[in-house]
Amino acid sequence: MATTATPVIEAPRRRKWGRRAREQSSGYALSAPAVAVLLVFFLLPIYFIVRYSIGLDRFAKTEAAAELTGELAGFSTELWRNFLGEGAEIALLGKSSAALHLPMYVVGIVFVVLVLGAVFGKRLSARFGGWIVGGSFFLLLAPFMTIPAGNNLLRLAELESGGDFLRLFFRSVTMATTSSVWAVAMAFPIAYFLAFGIRKSKYTWLLVVIAPFLTSYLLRVFAWKLILGDQGLINSALFELGLRDPDNALSFLIYSQFTVILVLLYAWVPFLILPIFIALENMDRRLLEAGTDLGASRLQTFRKVTLPIAAPGIVAAFLFVFIPSMGEYITPSLVGGNTGYMFGQAIWVQFVGGTLNWQTGSVLSIFLLGVVLFLTFTTSKFLRQGGGATA
Amino acid sequence: MLAARDEKEGFGMEHEKLSRRGFVALTGAASLGALLAACGGGEEAGAPATTEAPPETEAPPETEAPPATTEEAPPATTEEAPAGPKFDPESEPDGPVEVFEWVGYDNAEDTAAFMWKTYDEGPYGQKSPLKFTFLENDQQALAKVASGYSPEVIHPCIAYWRDFDAAGLLQPFDTSLLPDYEGIPEAIRAAGVHPETGLVYHVPFDIGFSALTYRADKIQISPEEESWSILLNPEYEGKIGIFSDDAAIIKIGALINAGEPINPNKLTTEQIQAAKETMIKAKPQIRTFWGSQTDTVNDFVNGNLWATYTWPDGYWSIKNHGKMKDVEVRYMSPKEGRLAWTCGLVLHAEAKHPGRATLAVAATNTPAASAALTDVYQYGGAQQNGVQELIQNKELITAFSLDDPAAFAPPKAWFEEYLPNRKEYVDAAAEVKAA
Repeated sequence: MATTATPVIEAPRRRKWGRRAREQSSGYALSAPAVAVLLVFFLLPIYFIVRYSIGLDRFAKTEAAAELTGELAGFSTELWRNFLGEGAEIALLGKSSAALHLPMYVVGIVFVVLVLGAVFGKRLSARFGGWIVGGSFFLLLAPFMTIPAGNNLLRLAELESGGDFLRLFFRSVTMATTSSVWAVAMAFPIAYFLAFGIRKSKYTWLLVVIAPFLTSYLLRVFAWKLILGDQGLINSALFELGLRDPDNALSFLIYSQFTVILVLLYAWVPFLILPIFIALENMDRRLLEAGTDLGASRLQTFRKVTLPIAAPGIVAAFLFVFIPSMGEYITPSLVGGNTGYMFGQAIWVQFVGGTLNWQTGSVLSIFLLGVVLFLTFTTSKFLRQGGGATA
Repeated sequence: MLAARDEKEGFGMEHEKLSRRGFVALTGAASLGALLAACGGGEEAGAPATTEAPPETEAPPETEAPPATTEEAPPATTEEAPAGPKFDPESEPDGPVEVFEWVGYDNAEDTAAFMWKTYDEGPYGQKSPLKFTFLENDQQALAKVASGYSPEVIHPCIAYWRDFDAAGLLQPFDTSLLPDYEGIPEAIRAAGVHPETGLVYHVPFDIGFSALTYRADKIQISPEEESWSILLNPEYEGKIGIFSDDAAIIKIGALINAGEPINPNKLTTEQIQAAKETMIKAKPQIRTFWGSQTDTVNDFVNGNLWATYTWPDGYWSIKNHGKMKDVEVRYMSPKEGRLAWTCGLVLHAEAKHPGRATLAVAATNTPAASAALTDVYQYGGAQQNGVQELIQNKELITAFSLDDPAAFAPPKAWFEEYLPNRKEYVDAAAEVKAA
């Protein structure tokens, strides 16, 4: 029995292994170009940028040129120390003397605790997991939110540091956070309406929402300049209505941090609608019916069912705006003016402006990349943990 | 179970042959190898694609001029003219001569009509036609050329040609092929001569002022009261535009601090720091640090700005704009002095047609080209030999004081110079922008 059974079993297994091996090989072959592109255009440049950031490479080819650029000639962490500055601390509740000053390490510990709370909150407590996750998110975001005030923005927290670029980075984080939160807040109702409010032709509606974005981005930004200028559409209307004196236009509308946030919002909202719409569209509608059948109000159903299911889409959408906004260069260059200067512009200046100090530019780039990678990692971890779906 | 384990182990054996990690490593190694091979090929072809300095022996003898700080440089002799290189355009191979030109000169019809006309119509205009690429600022041009891009003729301003030279990217001109070179005033062309070898590396072409263009109805000052210090006046909050150039920002701060003419190219560390503080105080008035003059002109005529730093063509565009027809627009001549600039043409160290490229540069130096430069772009020409008679729009001569040599000299104007301590200017300006 055994001698006759063995070849019967092994023959098809060999064939199966062969097929699997072929499938595996073809899978590798198909992904090889992507892996090669990733290595050559992502990892290799990072390797060189890291070398620049610690003085192992420099832009200047000669000593004379290096004197002008002020670049380092050998390994050093000086640029990193300069970037981080000295005496960095966070001032909560404004810049006044009454502000609460916290050393950076305290802020760092709190930040890590909140991140862990956001990622693992649901595991910590079955009953209050959702609150821990939501609360952690709120506390993580709140200090970086801003409110328009004249040509500047009021912040809950201000970074005080000897490092100019670090302060600029903090300012850019607050602008990116504000635009991302508002973009998500604006995109969600639209996506919700498209998913639940429209019965027919919802994809046509989706296309209508995205349609303005088939035109050039630069063209649209310049259109904003015409709308927001001192003699633009809004100010002219105010002059005509006698609500504003022509010599006293609403100047914060153009060339301010407010303008940068507004234009970023405008640029990103349509793209955010998609991931949220998909999350809502794929939702099992029977869950809503079940919620209603069990006596939940519409608000309760929304909070207990819809929102947790849409949470991964919301978080993905937030990052979708936040990450590119952090390194944004074009928008602040066009409408940011003197007060809307952002970290991405500082990187550009180091590479092709000023003294062509590629080493300093590399330090700024690596720092930004590190922050973005950290955010991506924690977010993917959060989404893998369920993304609030069971909260 | 046994079959399942065998299958798993069998699969594992396959897996060991080409694990994911192994696959990624293999692909990475192959890609890296291919990339390094490609880089190696590039170096062999003479393109300095990497940041490593090429061996000195690879550079032509003319380009081995030592950097400015080298003490081994041959002493400059003022008595006898230095022996420059000799080019023979006739013996050079046919083929295009690439010119790296300012983006403002990208209107091919305008520039071809005057700037390069003599060359285009000359014996090499067809054999070695000019081919243009465009630069947006000196730093960008330097970054590109230092990274391996090799145009034969480049158009940097006077403060930057020494940077190109220090990076071993330039060779001197054969001045015997530049018949109009002597027509450029000595004061202007001197800055293009290498201070140690005495050879000509930079042939000036265009000159101009950098000053504030302002609305006289909003900024009510008499011409005698004109000063850079309006930047500190809170009445003009958010109504002034300044060029984003780092050195210019600090120079303006230094002139405000001095309150009288001082050379802003020779600032000490203390003066630079004081200028930085002044410009930080001026920031509420500064609405934009502009990068494109077109943008600031648009902001001015659309009412977003009452005063902005412009070059002569910017002022002229504003003054003649339809929206400004009822507004008096002035080009400031501040008591501390205007800033001013000279740009010109340099020859790449690895130029394949150095003789023909020099003849192209000579075409830009004719009096006719210089006069047309003023008529078309409102800039002054470095060449001034009999140029005023050729300028068709005589209004431009008075508007930009082209008939007044004193307007182009201290204390009325401070032409930019090579800044040995430029890093200090740039670092201070970075603080102003980030503050």
